[in-house]
Amino acid sequence: MTDILCRDPNTVMRLQRLGSIHQSRLSFMRLLTRRLAREGWRFQQTAFEVNDKGEGHAVYTAHGPDRAYSLIAYAHDLPAEKRSDRVIADAWDATFTLFDGVPTAADIERLSHNIPVQEAGRVTGTELSVSRANRSVRLWEHVVSELAAGRQPDAAQIEAVGYLMRTTAVYGSGKLGAADREMIADRAEFRAPFQVEMLSVYLTRWFVLDLVQHMANLRAAAAGAEAAQLSPELARSMGIGNSTGLGMAPFLLNHPVLFNNWVAARENAIRAVRNLAKASADEVALFRELVDRSKLSIAAWHSEHPIQIEKLGDLRADVAKLDTYLAQHGLTGAQPWDVLYSWAEQALSLEGQEWIASLILEPYGALVDGFAEEMAADNTATFRIAGAMSIGDLRALLKDVYAWAIDIDWQAPENRARAWYVSEEKLEPRLGERFEEPIEEYEQPLAPGRDAAQLYQALAHWPDEAQVAEFLLRHPEHRHVLRRAQIVGRAPYAEIRDNTISDRVLPIDMLRCKLAFFGATQFDPRSDRWVRICMYGNAPLPTELTVENADFWVFPDQETVLEETGA
Amino acid sequence: MSHSLNEIEAMSKRAARGAGLSWGLAEEAAKGTRWLSAFGFPGTEMLAELLTLNDRIPPVDVSPVSLRAEVWHAPARRMSPLIAGASLSDCAVRLLERGTITMENVSLPLLAVPFMGGAALRLGVPVAAEWQGARLATDGRQLCVQGEADALRTAQVDRLVFSAPAEMTGRREPVTRAEVCEDSWDTLGGFAHRTFAPATEESRLLGAGAGLSDND
Repeated sequence: MTDILCRDPNTVMRLQRLGSIHQSRLSFMRLLTRRLAREGWRFQQTAFEVNDKGEGHAVYTAHGPDRAYSLIAYAHDLPAEKRSDRVIADAWDATFTLFDGVPTAADIERLSHNIPVQEAGRVTGTELSVSRANRSVRLWEHVVSELAAGRQPDAAQIEAVGYLMRTTAVYGSGKLGAADREMIADRAEFRAPFQVEMLSVYLTRWFVLDLVQHMANLRAAAAGAEAAQLSPELARSMGIGNSTGLGMAPFLLNHPVLFNNWVAARENAIRAVRNLAKASADEVALFRELVDRSKLSIAAWHSEHPIQIEKLGDLRADVAKLDTYLAQHGLTGAQPWDVLYSWAEQALSLEGQEWIASLILEPYGALVDGFAEEMAADNTATFRIAGAMSIGDLRALLKDVYAWAIDIDWQAPENRARAWYVSEEKLEPRLGERFEEPIEEYEQPLAPGRDAAQLYQALAHWPDEAQVAEFLLRHPEHRHVLRRAQIVGRAPYAEIRDNTISDRVLPIDMLRCKLAFFGATQFDPRSDRWVRICMYGNAPLPTELTVENADFWVFPDQETVLEETGA
Repeated sequence: MSHSLNEIEAMSKRAARGAGLSWGLAEEAAKGTRWLSAFGFPGTEMLAELLTLNDRIPPVDVSPVSLRAEVWHAPARRMSPLIAGASLSDCAVRLLERGTITMENVSLPLLAVPFMGGAALRLGVPVAAEWQGARLATDGRQLCVQGEADALRTAQVDRLVFSAPAEMTGRREPVTRAEVCEDSWDTLGGFAHRTFAPATEESRLLGAGAGLSDND
């Protein structure tokens, strides 16, 4: 039997495929809920002081084996004209920080002057994140008014939106004066990427459910009535939305080693499963169950964006093809997962292929979950340029890793139509038209393909035996991309192997990829550079979390859905 | 005010770029300033001073003429510690082969020191830097410092000698927060501002790709 290798980076790292990735066992939300359950974390609401206008604060503490963390939430009474999901907004329905430990009254007071103003405030090394959220105006009002009238809200309306609030930014790692990742990266609970942010959002969801009940109770009391208690099933069905713009796209380009480690972990996991000689009856049964449960979330996935509508059409057709495949072939032969994946590669759309690639990992936690240990990154070693490398070796490296870029005609306007820049407004990353706007002098180094091709040209008349150090002394303008090329030489999944400044580039592909690694579902692009998603939909609330329900919550449970529609 | 090291790094990178350094050198400047700040030195002050001194001048004027020369010197008789430091890091293997690399007329020599941390990690042996009244050695993780504050903070030295392998005596551990002098922060902020495109209504709508209302 031949050993199946990891998928080729030239296949995996194309934007269209990255823009079709699905969450998996290795997604950061699921890493977190599994850990919280496995280690028996305890959760407590320790303060909830919110007035009848919805203003005040609340504190939620998570107690782990060694340390505690607290979400401090500030609730605000926001006029509609101030409600914007753009980074440039300056007021929100609710603002949050994840505090390292249990805050004192003085901490809550100090932070009450800083968290509500977000970027205009300052925090300290005891704060691990800063974030904010806005209500889904439609769903919020529906839920408050129905509960206040003594009724449960409509499950169909909840399903159509999926969340009561959506976060519009979650800042971590040193932003606004918060603790650097390096200060906490050696704590077991934060070793995997983005665990601070994922914990913050998980506790935010709990707060939002408490807040909506509180507002309904107050409204009912004002009318001399008593509000209904939101049913646990409906509460659980709601996640936290997230509205994500261009800020996340540069992240993947600016953290090449980290990005490599995420992708490599998933690719190693896929490889390990494809190499299994056979599948047991239990493993096949679990896979089939999760296929069925996936169908529910695929059926419930809405988007109004033409690109995503088309992709969803393809994915739904792929689901039907998979049913036929499983009926005809089953998973009982030799190397069944490789046979299945190889079939998918031929028969399905990119959405379908990546769905299968993630799904085949599900029965094999013991085999693949360990790859998550490799997902974090320490950039110290890779940052330094190997100056003793010969120009001949560099040339060969560029030809190997950037062949796709060297072949592009970079003089053609359509191939460099766009430029990434940073606006002076709250340092918001933007993508502009190079030939129509005065932005080129502000261009950020986010077009590695073009830069690598330029480096390759600049080396043309240098002899093979010269050293990189000599070249860089004469050409400091190539230092950035040369460092990058050396990184990609060691970390093959570090580079997006596609043109990031062409007239056809879709930044949502990068956003989707990053958010899928977070564990998000229900991707709903609002434009080519803006996407809404749902996080923790169907997840158990912190107080409900057990080892049994901590893992597969992302797949809606058929019975729960049936009960809800029957109710 | 207390700043996170990531804030210092992000600000330093933008400022260095704003002062005319290439992106690759701006990244080196940022890592270096972070490194110095983590060891309690006034990294942002020294970077602000250097960027003001060399604001938008051609880098070749303050770069070593040749890496093979017995003594590295710059055409302008004043060498940028960032460019010299980056070259030193690129020549880590050569440093170990030669034993020493000597540079002439280097501005703010302390700004070149973080680069030897990178070299030490690559080589797996400590590297030292010495100039009039100061000696520093590092294995990349810890630092030993000898010399008065004035000598460490000096604006220019005639001779700066890097050597490997070096002795480590009296170790200093890095810290995870830094106190930053507000004046230097403002100066760096001014340089950084040059890298930001002025906001226009058009870019506000098109460039970020979202509408302004979130009321749904």
